[in-house]
Amino acid sequence: MLINNEFNEEKIQSPLQYTWSIFKRNSLAITAMWGSLILILITLFADYIVPYAPSTQYVKHLLLPPYWVEGGNSAHILGTDDLGRDSLARLIQGIQLTLGGALAITIAVSILGSVIGATAALTKGLKASILHHLLDALLIIPTLLTALILIVMFGPSYENSLIAVSLSLLPQFIRGIYISIENELNKQYIISLRLDGATNVRLLRFGIFPNILEPIITLLNRIFTMAILEISTLGFLGFGTQFLDVELGALIASSIVLIYSSPWLVFFPGLAIFIIILVFNIFTEGLRHAVIEGEDL
Amino acid sequence: MLNYLFRRLNLLFITAFILSVIAFILTYWSSKNTLADADAGYIIQYVKYMSAILQGEWGLSSIDQQPMLIKGLTAFASTLELCFIAFITANIIAIPLGIFAGLNRNSLLDYLIMTIALIGLALPVFWLAVITTMLPRLLGIPLPIDGGISPVFEIPVVSGFILLDTLLAADTYQLDAFFNRLAHLILPSSVLSLFLITEIIRLTRHSITMVMKSNYVKAAYAKGLSRKEIVFRHVLKNALPPIIHQLRLQLSTIISFAMVIEIVFSLQGSGVWLLSSIKEGDYLALPTAILIISGFILLSSIFIDILLMIISPIKRKSLYVD
Amino acid sequence: MALLDIRNLSIDISTAQGKVRVIDKASLTIVDGSIHGLVGESGSGKSLIAKAILGLHNANWTVTADRMFLGATDLTKLSANDRRKIMGKEIAMIFQHPRSYLDPSKKIFSQIKEVLPTTSVKKLFLSKIKRVPEQSTQQRIKELLHKVGIQNDQTVLASYPHELSEGICQKVMIAMAIANNPSLIIADEPTTAMEAVTRAQIFRLLYKLNQLHSTTILLLSNNFGSISNLSDYITLIYSGQTVESGSYKQIINSPMHPYTEAMIKTILEFDESISHKSQLYTLPGNIPSANQLPIGCRLGPRCPRAQRSCVTNPEPLNFKGHVISCHFPTLDENQHANTSQRK
Ligand SMILES: Nc1ncnc2c1ncn2[C@@H]1O[C@H](COP(=O)(O)OP(=O)(O)OP(=O)(O)O)[C@@H](O)[C@H]1O
Ligand code: SF4
Ligand SMILES: [Mg+2]
Repeated sequence: MLINNEFNEEKIQSPLQYTWSIFKRNSLAITAMWGSLILILITLFADYIVPYAPSTQYVKHLLLPPYWVEGGNSAHILGTDDLGRDSLARLIQGIQLTLGGALAITIAVSILGSVIGATAALTKGLKASILHHLLDALLIIPTLLTALILIVMFGPSYENSLIAVSLSLLPQFIRGIYISIENELNKQYIISLRLDGATNVRLLRFGIFPNILEPIITLLNRIFTMAILEISTLGFLGFGTQFLDVELGALIASSIVLIYSSPWLVFFPGLAIFIIILVFNIFTEGLRHAVIEGEDL
Repeated sequence: MLNYLFRRLNLLFITAFILSVIAFILTYWSSKNTLADADAGYIIQYVKYMSAILQGEWGLSSIDQQPMLIKGLTAFASTLELCFIAFITANIIAIPLGIFAGLNRNSLLDYLIMTIALIGLALPVFWLAVITTMLPRLLGIPLPIDGGISPVFEIPVVSGFILLDTLLAADTYQLDAFFNRLAHLILPSSVLSLFLITEIIRLTRHSITMVMKSNYVKAAYAKGLSRKEIVFRHVLKNALPPIIHQLRLQLSTIISFAMVIEIVFSLQGSGVWLLSSIKEGDYLALPTAILIISGFILLSSIFIDILLMIISPIKRKSLYVD
Repeated sequence: MALLDIRNLSIDISTAQGKVRVIDKASLTIVDGSIHGLVGESGSGKSLIAKAILGLHNANWTVTADRMFLGATDLTKLSANDRRKIMGKEIAMIFQHPRSYLDPSKKIFSQIKEVLPTTSVKKLFLSKIKRVPEQSTQQRIKELLHKVGIQNDQTVLASYPHELSEGICQKVMIAMAIANNPSLIIADEPTTAMEAVTRAQIFRLLYKLNQLHSTTILLLSNNFGSISNLSDYITLIYSGQTVESGSYKQIINSPMHPYTEAMIKTILEFDESISHKSQLYTLPGNIPSANQLPIGCRLGPRCPRAQRSCVTNPEPLNFKGHVISCHFPTLDENQHANTSQRK
């Protein structure tokens, strides 16, 4: 066994390479990464890949089953609904609305939450105290209730449901970020950085950020998962998309009466949500593993 | 110790105050101008509102003119009943599995348990509930899928917890009503407990792994203790507090999910109550729900905190709920 | 008679960049009833060796050894169950960061009680013939604490580890280690983070143990000066390789390895004249980090005597129990040549 490499310099990797080299050993995570990419691409280019316009009604083909089931039609791979609309097209549109919404929420919440969380962690005194007590109060209101309140106040629409979900997830993210930063701040190396005269921004960028990557990934994953679940839940309850554009939860709700005659209509959107969450979770779990150097789950 | 209690109580009051302000704003908004005199300042109105709340006058429902407080409490008791049953089931199933997975990391069974946990997390609760409503018909299991209890039983509301009330009404229906209620709870609570099981398995496994890696477990090996002794003497006691702590943070999520499940199964409870109130424009239900549900979560958070402080000697120094 | 005999112990830790050989063919022979010092800089792998002896390694370590015997038991072939039987009874360990090795959720009393044998057959037998009065556990624990120099035993026993200072925790660890009169105690830097008085107390305690019970002690330290006068034998370790090992006299009087010589020179002796503001002696460079270890003799880049052949591992040379791993050791004739160069 060759124990010592003669040219050790070759082996020293940047943290990014290092993380990648661990990550790529995990084939499941790699698969999930490609899966996530494909899902994101579907979201971005949904309008170009849908086989039919999602709202076109093919009155001759009502309630078609998927084409592999008896009576199916290969023109409508996943069949049609009770108004003759193509299931696949509606599913893709649903994915676009749900996943796209969740991604937008995750990005918005993480940017806003990081700023507020970091400010809160670095400030002391009354301002921080007020913020914390406010967060405490907001955190104990169930997210569904928050979303319901906001939607009742501003009226049901897809955009409002996104805003409601973001606002209900924001406190969780702020609190998560705050706790991670606070934990790091108490460590000795940060104190020594401070004594070196590092400004707050520098402290955050070079001192704290690289060390809280793991909790950040966990948090982002949690926010994303909850966003998907909540958007579709609100849609399911009828507070999300209205009329033509239908996201996955609303798609399920609209087909619930047909559950015995055409269970596919309920089954596929749920499966889509399931796959989205599964794929993104495996991906982030792999990433988290790689960041903490495969040390522990 | 006293200092700690004082801090928690402080937290209780401030958070309760903020909640009441939110509820006040909602009430004010939902009733538009009907709330007393619009000229009076906000502060005076708030004080009036609070004194009404404290005297138990939470307003009347615009649907059936019933007092809001009673409606809200009855509905929430039913939700709690669902949560409670699901929680107990989930713990019985998940904690042993989680401990096993944590102690035998990377074994085949560990992978199996974790796969199931991941699948459980990814399944959207409402969809699972919808699919579950199909089961009795598909598999021929005679389980009810809608309502909280058969309408043939007329159970007087005493505690709001229908299981208890059916027991109290046992002289009219013997135990039939009780079992009928239980049957109605089986499917909804299974769906809810699936979510809980996945959470608890993950938390337990993580916590156990962390403790198993700690130095004091190494020291216990060096003392010559057997694995079983180590697990029972050192691991479990140290692994438990983080699990409880994390679960406490999930309380509001659990209640959210319970409400969704109730809606799918049309099980009377806060979910159905809120949804129907909103649909009929009875917006006073919203502040009532905030006060009741969040008040419950707040009180139980503090209760759990104190419990944690008692079982784990490293006193938590955190000032805020986290 | 060697109580602990280790030959060519290697530890590989698998990391993302492949396996890193953190301990490279270390050998250690500990004579029964002696105090053996294992000296090396921080990060040289002392604690790793100690953990490997106890079998406390993580899953990502690979431990290989040609020979690893404690008395007559082969430590490498021990089943988990058999290992458990010797742990705490035959070998005991005093860990480096004592507080983290105490269970945070249990009081000290129950943690010490755990180490004591519940009813040992031997004692039962002894008490039959000798009529030794049966000691209560409480009494025994108290005695143990007094032995290690803890006076306020009641308070300490009723405390949780986080309420005690690191020094007291260390003493508690020592009390637990000596509870069963083990034949070998591994003390991993028992006195770091301790003030001089406690340090002296603990060294005196270890010394007394060694003298009275003839307990063998393996003393790990990063400070050559502090333990050298206590140890009968000394092994030096550099970057995971044992460089020189021998009796105290052999090491101090006739060091043969360049590293040992450098270490000895770092011990200041104030009767020697050190000119004002002169540079104190050190080897050039730093101890290499684990992911860029040099091949062959790891001292190579810093060694004043290194030559081309040093890129292969030196075979250990044995001069009457004085073992050196070096291609160009200082031989007896010119052993003082280097020391005299010192200004
Ligand atoms: N789990 C691990 N993974 C990777 N490398 C490790 C691990 N544990 C220890 N090492 C490496 O092994 C080397 C030796 O560590 P060890 O703790 O034995 O040093 P030491 O001699 O006890 O130092 P100190 O005097 O500071 O206690 C270190 O350089 C470290 O890089
Ligand atoms: S083997 Fe070579 S490099 Fe190593 S100590 Fe001896 S002379 Fe120096
Ligand atoms: Mg060490």
